[in-house]
Amino acid sequence: MKTNIIMKVMNVIFWIVFIGLCIKTGALLVSLFVTLFINSNGAEDTYMGLDLLDIYSFSVEYYIGVASFLIAITAMKANLAYFVIKLFMKFDLNYPFNEKTASLITQMSHYALGIGVVAIIAESYADRIMRQGIDLQIDWGAEQFLFFAGIIYIIALVFKKGVEIQNENELTI
Amino acid sequence: MPIVVNLDVMMAKRKMSLNELSEKVGLTLSNLSILKTGKAKAVRFSTLEAICEVLDCQPGDILEFVE
Repeated sequence: MKTNIIMKVMNVIFWIVFIGLCIKTGALLVSLFVTLFINSNGAEDTYMGLDLLDIYSFSVEYYIGVASFLIAITAMKANLAYFVIKLFMKFDLNYPFNEKTASLITQMSHYALGIGVVAIIAESYADRIMRQGIDLQIDWGAEQFLFFAGIIYIIALVFKKGVEIQNENELTI
Repeated sequence: MPIVVNLDVMMAKRKMSLNELSEKVGLTLSNLSILKTGKAKAVRFSTLEAICEVLDCQPGDILEFVE
């Protein structure tokens, strides 16, 4: 009973996270479009006070690069949140170890690894910009996502083993 | 699979249907069917004991190793 309530609450939380990340991705896309084609002062408040005006003034290419990385990573995070929602939809506590769940968790670990890799590339790109004297304080979260990917991968392995054991158990008379 | 289940042979010898065996042994029809068709991965001793008791036979009459 308590577990069901917690699952429902977490499901709602992840829906909120997913919608929030979708809104953030959309806002970043709109901000990029507005800055490039309508009003360059849009870079001053890209999203929730993020100021990229210095980068835009230094180099439009650098600005597009940073904004693209931000949009890509946010979109990938939104997709990861959707994976979690799909997991909650398919998860059945009576038969937790099934192929679909194991496959979803494996996909999530690969995706988190992908986000980590993109974040590392974004960090090194940002470092290159900062070495030219521009202040760019963005937390890309690369280490966190790589750590998350590692943990989820181990959980995915445990789930795969659980599926094997459960299948064998079901065929034990 | 090298282990062959000859449950149907014993059932025929004792003239017992699957339904009857299922009721006497206390296993579901689907589980017995899994056992009979050789799809089972493992058999518990308690299950083997119950089947042997009902069919009045030895485990070797039901299970056979074929290379």
